[in-house]
Amino acid sequence: MFSAPVPARLLAALGLVVSVAACSSTPATTATPDTFSVWDPYPQFTAESEWVKTIEKCGTEAGVKIQRQAYDTTDLTSKVLLAAQQRTAPQVLVVDNPVVSTLVEAGVLKANSDVGLDAGQVSPNLVAAGTVEGQTYGVPIGANTLALYYNKAVLAAAGVDPASVKDWDSLNAALAKVKAAGKKGITFSAIGTEEGTFQFLPWFWGAGGKLTDLPSGKAALELWKSWLDNGYAPNSVVNNTQTTSWQEFATGEYAFAENGTWQLGNAKKAGFEYGVIAIPARTGGTAPAPTGGEFVTVPAQDNKDTEAKAGRIGSCLTAPDKVLAADTALTYISAVPSVQQQQVSAQQDLAVWVEAVKNAKGRTGDNLGTKYPKISQPLWGAVQAALTGAKAPEAALRDAQAAVK
Amino acid sequence: MRSWRTPVGVLLTAVMLFPVYWMVNVSLTPLSDMRKAPSLIPVHPTTEGYERVLREQVPYLGTSLLVALGTVVLTLALAAPAAYSLAKLRPAGRRALGFVLLVAQMIPGIIMALGFYGIYVKLGVTNTVWGLVLADSTIAVPFAVLILTSFMASVPDEVLQAARIDGAGPWRSFVSIVLPASRNGVVTAALFSFLWAWSDFLFAATLDSGGRLQPLTLGIYRYIGNNNQEWNSIMATAVVASVPATVLIVVAQRYVAAGVTSGAVKD
Amino acid sequence: MRARLAGWAFLVPLVAYLLVCYAYPLFTNVDLSIRGYTVRSFVHGGAPLVGFANYAVVFGDPTFRTALLNTVLFTLVSLFFQYTIGLAAALFFARGFRLSATLRALFLVPWLLPLIVSASTWAWLLNSESGLVNAALKVVGLGPVNWLTSPEWSLVSVTIANIWIGIPFNLVVLYSGLQNIPREVYEASSLDGASGWQTFWHVTFPLLRPVSAITLLLGLVYTLKVFDVIWIMTKGGPSGSSTTLATWSYELGFGNMLPRFGPSAAVGNVLILIAVIAGLLYIRVQRRQELA
Repeated sequence: MFSAPVPARLLAALGLVVSVAACSSTPATTATPDTFSVWDPYPQFTAESEWVKTIEKCGTEAGVKIQRQAYDTTDLTSKVLLAAQQRTAPQVLVVDNPVVSTLVEAGVLKANSDVGLDAGQVSPNLVAAGTVEGQTYGVPIGANTLALYYNKAVLAAAGVDPASVKDWDSLNAALAKVKAAGKKGITFSAIGTEEGTFQFLPWFWGAGGKLTDLPSGKAALELWKSWLDNGYAPNSVVNNTQTTSWQEFATGEYAFAENGTWQLGNAKKAGFEYGVIAIPARTGGTAPAPTGGEFVTVPAQDNKDTEAKAGRIGSCLTAPDKVLAADTALTYISAVPSVQQQQVSAQQDLAVWVEAVKNAKGRTGDNLGTKYPKISQPLWGAVQAALTGAKAPEAALRDAQAAVK
Repeated sequence: MRSWRTPVGVLLTAVMLFPVYWMVNVSLTPLSDMRKAPSLIPVHPTTEGYERVLREQVPYLGTSLLVALGTVVLTLALAAPAAYSLAKLRPAGRRALGFVLLVAQMIPGIIMALGFYGIYVKLGVTNTVWGLVLADSTIAVPFAVLILTSFMASVPDEVLQAARIDGAGPWRSFVSIVLPASRNGVVTAALFSFLWAWSDFLFAATLDSGGRLQPLTLGIYRYIGNNNQEWNSIMATAVVASVPATVLIVVAQRYVAAGVTSGAVKD
Repeated sequence: MRARLAGWAFLVPLVAYLLVCYAYPLFTNVDLSIRGYTVRSFVHGGAPLVGFANYAVVFGDPTFRTALLNTVLFTLVSLFFQYTIGLAAALFFARGFRLSATLRALFLVPWLLPLIVSASTWAWLLNSESGLVNAALKVVGLGPVNWLTSPEWSLVSVTIANIWIGIPFNLVVLYSGLQNIPREVYEASSLDGASGWQTFWHVTFPLLRPVSAITLLLGLVYTLKVFDVIWIMTKGGPSGSSTTLATWSYELGFGNMLPRFGPSAAVGNVLILIAVIAGLLYIRVQRRQELA
């Protein structure tokens, strides 16, 4: 018993609402606002934290008030796109490095040369993630990367010298000894998200794999698969986030854990002696690990003056004297070599991380840019397919390559 | 004779709430024990999570309550008259409307949130309690209309006819006959709009994450860092958030149950 | 005529509300699905109309069939158990007994928890390495099951969690439905010497039919759009084994650094279409009942 008039009226009204909504884009203010908004992905930092105080100080230096908002990092990308669509993007944006190229593609970010930002002091391998077609967008606030944490007591009980782990063969030998001693081998994260690809890349690159040719890294996937098959790694890795994987390591039952710089604070609280070694490449040497960490960027505004002031705030936030406090709070390695030296002299055990960051590689580098997400997703799918036994490693990577469009 | 139902009921509730107990368990577990072989009680309990939560989150309790109660009021104010009309006045086009309600509920929450965000930015009402109440009510209104309609439909037409002969207009019939008779439906609709608004995370995160008046669930955010999640604090937040609401619901249910039985003839 | 006017007068606030709150998101979702949005045109406008191209992409993707099948299984199995367990519990609680009101209220506690917490707790319990469920299986002499990390079990696991989440809803709605059945009906039935089962089957269940229908219909709509539970527990994995249309839509739009709004919205609209079909069926059944 549908009666026609009502739906028709409904539709007409609906059309009206829609057309109102579509036409009513707000006229932008052209004056520079006196309050600048700064968005970052650090909800753990409260208003009293050193980080927020630094932002406010930089705002005062630029002569503006600051309103800071923290978002969950996975939410931040869509928030920024949406805000840019409504022309309410923040004046300063701190955003995860692989997202920078997406935001550049969207036309959200201003190039450094336009707003007076300068990434000249930063190591080139770290800037790469923010470089698109010769232009750099933003300055890294710091960097983190992956390495292998190990439990000294577990290795000692199994008779393994951590210094002996130099390539995959020696790592496998160490894992075999650990297992024979009745302990658990290694834990990592192979979850079906960007985290999974992030954790897989050191092995993939360490096997000589190229992101433009996924099957070239099949040795890495075979290595992971063999760890599960041999019982060196728990089956839970398939669904582990990096936090879950760390919780497993924190039980003290595991010999190794692949995890990031940011766990250093937790490692000290773990209640057992730990050490860190770089992730070995297949035939020896340090494997390139992907860089993590955020960029300070300036989204496009309606007015050059606003952008220039935002650039000044950005420069201030990434200035060597200011950035050290933020990096310490985040347990990041500074992106500037001279500051890295300060960090190491203050804290000797950071040396291995500084080394790892020097060897690290941007995920969106090699001019991949926004092609990277299209590769990364099939790649984590392939890792999952292989580890669950749904596909053989090589076939999984071949299928993934075929899915990259 | 004591009923066998009480012990069985306690047992069933215990089974049902076991995952909730586990959440409490995790909230008390220190990081180093979280992935050890599971134990039914926290062996080395830590109140670290609670200390943080009580220090940082308690002020937000009031906001949660305000948002949830506001949502209940708004939902009932919109849904009850509409349900009455659909069930008893039966205007033409009511099925089409029922249909629209159904489709409306299928729009993914995230798209709703994005839509509200766009509109709220234009109106400048992001980060307000009332904006959040309006958004949260969209989860509950279609449900409330449909459920109230089915309850009000079971009020016999003869009663309403008798009232009309006595000279009662539609409004009086609604307020003094239909609404009291479908009290169970009203309570159900109120209950669920409260629950949805209380546990909402998506709308709060999209529309209210920068405001001073944030609901409690958003506090979870603070423990989800960009690389790390502090699970005992996250779980502690959920526990702290659910305790006052649980008390409220238990008290409300007892009160309602008492009202229902006292109205019935006892045998 | 006057009654008709009054009827619409009571509906005006609701209709206005629906237009204000739902029209724009619904329009957005349709618009996104028929345009070739890139991140650039999402921000700056000017996305070209592409008609059904996004739908063609979605239907041509091998994930579509898996997701559709998983959606059907997930929804039907969830609905069946949520409803039967909810109804059994409602009948159990309908005989008031000591503590019954309190216990019934406690059944609602799972609904007070944000899904991120309840779903994570389930993931915790079902973890293959350190989860309680596997520990319990070990105690009774069974081997561990890879609940969340094997393609055979992941859909089962998320369905179990979803059933748990849905029971309170069914319990409360059906319980209130039972309360609305006049007591005299039961008394007449027991005077006739009907057994408990006969009373249920011939009296209670038919009288509960309108509430049952709406409960199942709402349950269907809610289950179709469930994505948080699955997303938090398995991300739709491993390798797509627990992907439903709802999680796939989310994954396309937000699960990746490069959002694909068009296909994501297209999948969302397919879901809306399924709900529309269910709604039409419901209306047909309802009309037949009214005529009967």
